[in-house]
Amino acid sequence: MAGAAVKHDYHLVNPSPWPILGAAGIFLLMLGMATYMKGMFGVPSGQWWVMLPGAVWLTWVLIGWWGDVLRESKGGDHTGVVQISLRYGMVLFIASEVMFFVAWFWGFFEMAIFHEVRADPSQTDLANLDLEALQGWSSWPVLQVDGERVKTFDPFHLPLINTLILLLSGTTVTWAHHALQVGDRKSAKLGLLLTVVLGLCFTALQVVEYAEAGFSYDGSLYGSAFFMATGFHGAHVIIGTIFLFVCLMRLMAGGMQPQKHLGFEFAAWYWHFVDVVWLFLFAFVYVVPHLVWPGGAGAH
Amino acid sequence: MSSDSATAAHGGHHDDHSPSLYSLSRWLFSTNHKDIGTLYLVFALFAGLIGFAFSGLMRAELFETGFQVFEDGQQYNVITTMHGLIMIFFMVMPALIGGFGNWFVPLMIGAPDMAMPRMNNISFWLLPASFALLMLSMFVPAQATGDATGFGGGWVLYPPLSGTVGHGGVAMDLVIFSLHVAGISSILGAINFIVTILNMRAPGMTLHKMPLFAWSVLITAFLLVLALPVLAGALTMLLTDRNFGSKFFVPAGGGDPIMFQHLFWFFGHPEVYIMILPGFGIISQIVSTFSRKPVFGYLAMAYAMVAIGFIGFIVWAHHMYTVGMGVELKAYFVAATMVIAVPTGVKIFSWIATMWGGSIDFTVPMLWAIGFIFLFTVGGVTGVVLANAGVDYSLHDTYYVVAHFHYVLSLGAVFTLFAGWYYWYEKMFGVKYNGMIAGAHFWLTFIGSNVIFFPQHFLGLQGMPRRYVDYTPAFEYWHQWSTYGYYIVAVGTGIFLIGIIESMVRHRKAEANPWGEGATTLEWTLSSPPPFHQYNDLPRIR
Amino acid sequence: MGSKIFKLVGLSAIISSLASAYAAVPVEGGLGFQPPATELAQEVHDFHNLLLWIIGFITLFVTVLLIWVMVRYNRRANPVPKTFSHNTPIEIAWTVIPVLILAVIAFRSFPLLFKQEEIPNVAESEIVDVKTYGRQWYWSYIYGSGDDEIYFDSNMIQDAELQPGQVAKLSVNNPMVVPAGKYIRLSVTASDVIHAWTIPAFAVKVDAVPGRLNQIWFKVDEPGVFYGQCSELCGINHAFMPIEVRVLPQDQYETWLERVSESTAAGNEYLQTVQPLAAQVASAE
Ligand code: HEA
Ligand code: HEA
Ligand code: CUA
Ligand SMILES: [Cu+2]
Repeated sequence: MAGAAVKHDYHLVNPSPWPILGAAGIFLLMLGMATYMKGMFGVPSGQWWVMLPGAVWLTWVLIGWWGDVLRESKGGDHTGVVQISLRYGMVLFIASEVMFFVAWFWGFFEMAIFHEVRADPSQTDLANLDLEALQGWSSWPVLQVDGERVKTFDPFHLPLINTLILLLSGTTVTWAHHALQVGDRKSAKLGLLLTVVLGLCFTALQVVEYAEAGFSYDGSLYGSAFFMATGFHGAHVIIGTIFLFVCLMRLMAGGMQPQKHLGFEFAAWYWHFVDVVWLFLFAFVYVVPHLVWPGGAGAH
Repeated sequence: MSSDSATAAHGGHHDDHSPSLYSLSRWLFSTNHKDIGTLYLVFALFAGLIGFAFSGLMRAELFETGFQVFEDGQQYNVITTMHGLIMIFFMVMPALIGGFGNWFVPLMIGAPDMAMPRMNNISFWLLPASFALLMLSMFVPAQATGDATGFGGGWVLYPPLSGTVGHGGVAMDLVIFSLHVAGISSILGAINFIVTILNMRAPGMTLHKMPLFAWSVLITAFLLVLALPVLAGALTMLLTDRNFGSKFFVPAGGGDPIMFQHLFWFFGHPEVYIMILPGFGIISQIVSTFSRKPVFGYLAMAYAMVAIGFIGFIVWAHHMYTVGMGVELKAYFVAATMVIAVPTGVKIFSWIATMWGGSIDFTVPMLWAIGFIFLFTVGGVTGVVLANAGVDYSLHDTYYVVAHFHYVLSLGAVFTLFAGWYYWYEKMFGVKYNGMIAGAHFWLTFIGSNVIFFPQHFLGLQGMPRRYVDYTPAFEYWHQWSTYGYYIVAVGTGIFLIGIIESMVRHRKAEANPWGEGATTLEWTLSSPPPFHQYNDLPRIR
Repeated sequence: MGSKIFKLVGLSAIISSLASAYAAVPVEGGLGFQPPATELAQEVHDFHNLLLWIIGFITLFVTVLLIWVMVRYNRRANPVPKTFSHNTPIEIAWTVIPVLILAVIAFRSFPLLFKQEEIPNVAESEIVDVKTYGRQWYWSYIYGSGDDEIYFDSNMIQDAELQPGQVAKLSVNNPMVVPAGKYIRLSVTASDVIHAWTIPAFAVKVDAVPGRLNQIWFKVDEPGVFYGQCSELCGINHAFMPIEVRVLPQDQYETWLERVSESTAAGNEYLQTVQPLAAQVASAE
């Protein structure tokens, strides 16, 4: 067998420095983050610049790595069977992301369903707990550590608008996709541009909304769960927007064929995933608390 | 920087002559599944020896009452925690999945390499990064103030002990990051395996013709993709609780430490099957090879693993019977947990049925395999005892649990690891090992590890709690046996290392198929070691 | 060493039979549970014995099969391997029989579990409420509430200060005291990290979780001394926060309660007079 000509369509990738460099970059970034948080090696905590070397390094690696992938794609390495592999890979990556969100929803649901086993947030002196009052949050979300009441959002204002924005962006990206498939590159660009703009609008509105929250991140479990779940969603929106933007750039530069445009497909899948996560967030993190806890309605 | 090589057009350019063994770039920049598999194995060996040394420190400490090795409980707890984490994340998983999976999944399914060779390489290189973070954590402050170092909260990382209250220093943050990185590594690796198996089987190799080892890795990979992100989420909550004031697990603020345990074990229980399923696959290959008989009940064997993987996701709270759950919930988890004994029994009996009527060769890998079947049964049935919440109240967090999980891990997963090691040694490294030395390694490990862990059942029943640096004198007797057993295993492990060196020095040339007609999977059709790129002309399966 | 084993195993059997009611401690070389002190613990032991038979039998069965195939079907005894790889009846058998065995286990397991879990429905006068906090690294006990509240901390006796009859790493300065024959309802929580309260002889164990209140119950019929150890990793001194429970006859318990409400020391002094540890050691030997 040795020496026989290659008779298959798989892509045998050439040796590459990016993986080991990437691992080194992550190592640096993690060290930097730990140093930022707690201080290490004589550097006091709170110095944000310690995270820079790792972040910059990693960005360099990602650009280099994905650059190679693009070159390979253009060089014809992404044969039919390789494309199937890449598709499977992207689906599985999204599946793992879904499970990541399961953790955050879990945190939220557990509080919603079993809130009565939790200590009331105002019980801050654990050494002298009021054992009788340990029966927990009689309803949720009630108080914060500082004794303030949690005022939930009215889901039918900004959050509803944001829902519509994301749903709309789901349609525009599909429009762009169909346009690309039939070779209408102009519409494809327009659709993609619209999607990116809608993504940016969503992020902007989310920032506005955060500023108006009637509860704080560190005030109670409710606040933490809310901000982390929507925050991670927001981070995914931003990543998805960048992803779509890169596709737009490639489209403008003449890349992406009607028959073969994996990058575009993946960006679209990712975008739909982000969209679906939002629908769940909207239903359970915004609407349900609003309905089951009438006191929180229309807080301001 | 690699643009020139990266643009090389597909096809025809790949050299069949392997680059020199001593070329640094061959190992650092590898995109070859066999080289990456070797890297994983070397790494696992290195980490395993550290984990092994740590268990020696623990056994020496526990030899007598009083303090022997450590100055205080913190040091002991740190070493215990690191032992658990190293053995699980840096020894068993890299060896079985990264090492053997990388080497033999492509070979067995007739694929030229993994689906994403470059991603394969970062899956590996993230591990040393993660390991470095973990090791570093041992030397940085445990608390915001004071001299104590390292994280000593157990491999299960329960808050508030792992929170600001228990370990306010940077050590725990490094442990969190270490596990984040190890998790990314495993998720990427798992995606790679699933894609490879689903998309790169040789023509004619349907899923139902695929060797059981490939099946086991496929199922394991699914467990990894679904379980690890949940751990990542839980760890992130812990991180923000510690550093940014969130209240997920902080009771003052309405959080609940028990929620962490739910999230952890939702990952943690599938994790234990992640550690054993590849081993199941290895044992199936070996038992069939040396009985010179096809695997008995092939389909049942494959779907038993599917069943174990699936049920594994819905039994997690059997680790939490004492936290104060509702009784109905406990009853559910008791029932669900016990159900896993059924598909596992199917596996045990099918292995025996494979041997039944066979013509068994007692080669070294077969010794490990038979030893495994026996020892895993012992560990498995004590698991069924623990599954019963009513009895678990008496055994939870005692040495009975330690005995249970070492029987399924140290005498289960590790036995499959050594079985695979000797089964594929010639294939991987192109040299023969010395059968006498390998046999001695087996017998010393078999006897020694039983002496270590069998008495721990007695300790547990008598009430000896886990994670104790010191104990009441009545427990000394069995602890001494346990430590003596460790010395026996230590001799065995020394002989294991000597065996590696001996085989390399003597350099007895390996055969393509040393095992005869019983070895029917594709890897045995190749030379030993296989060519740098195999199957340029894909094999066709009838 | 060999003779030592036999001596120890024999001795442990004697001690466990002698001391069953009075004191429950781990014994050197002991092989099984500490002697049960409550009815429930007895039931747990019986159930565990059943399990032990079952798992012992399964393990033996697997071992015998393994030995059989190794002897009968090795290369010398059977040079030509058979080729079968299916046998539906036997596959059904080894699926169904384990299911039946598990059903038998469950049949015993669930009633026991529900019994352990549910505090019996008895008159409040039959119930004694005690609260405990797990703390780094000692236990605090609270009796009564409001103005009548009695509170004391329970610390391990250091090895250098052990009195005759006290057990290293198990004895404490201020034990928890409860009356025999009453239902003790123990509420457990913690003030810093998770701990776990347990007494092996009662077959109870429950985590002490900050911000949560867990309850367990037990009823000890005979007076005696019982030991347990913190059973959830809680930091540096996890190994050094044992639990000691003294069970007294009702009248002595009431006297102790009066004394201890004056001062912890007075309660303790009384306890040592009615239930001196040194005498107990003598009686066990
Ligand atoms: C490889 C790892 C592995 C494997 C395979 C298992 C397998 C099982 N485990 Fe184990 N377990 C661990 C690793 C593993 N475990 C670890 C690491 C811990 C401790 C974690 C920590 O706290 O640090 C633990 C703890 C643990 C607990 C919690 C104990 C406690 O903390 O109180 C429980 C309770 O239910 C349990 C149960 C089981 C069961 C029922 C199985 C079953 O899958 C076993 C099934 C196998 C058999 C039963 C034998 C073969 C079957 C037959 C021969 C058929 C006939 C049998 C019957 C009818 C019974 N395990
Ligand atoms: C796979 C997992 C694994 C393995 C193999 C082992 C192996 C051993 N462990 Fe393990 N142990 C754990 C997982 C493991 N352990 C976990 C999870 C805990 C709980 C931690 C916690 O409480 O948080 C624990 C806790 C634990 C305790 C309890 C500590 C306590 O509660 O206070 C003790 C005490 O004796 C102990 C001892 C040992 C000993 C003597 C071995 C010996 O068997 C060691 C012998 C080792 C070998 C024979 C294998 C050596 C392997 C290699 C050298 C690699 C070879 C590699 C290739 C060929 C590629 N361990
Ligand atoms: Cu308190 Cu362990
Ligand atoms: Cu489990």
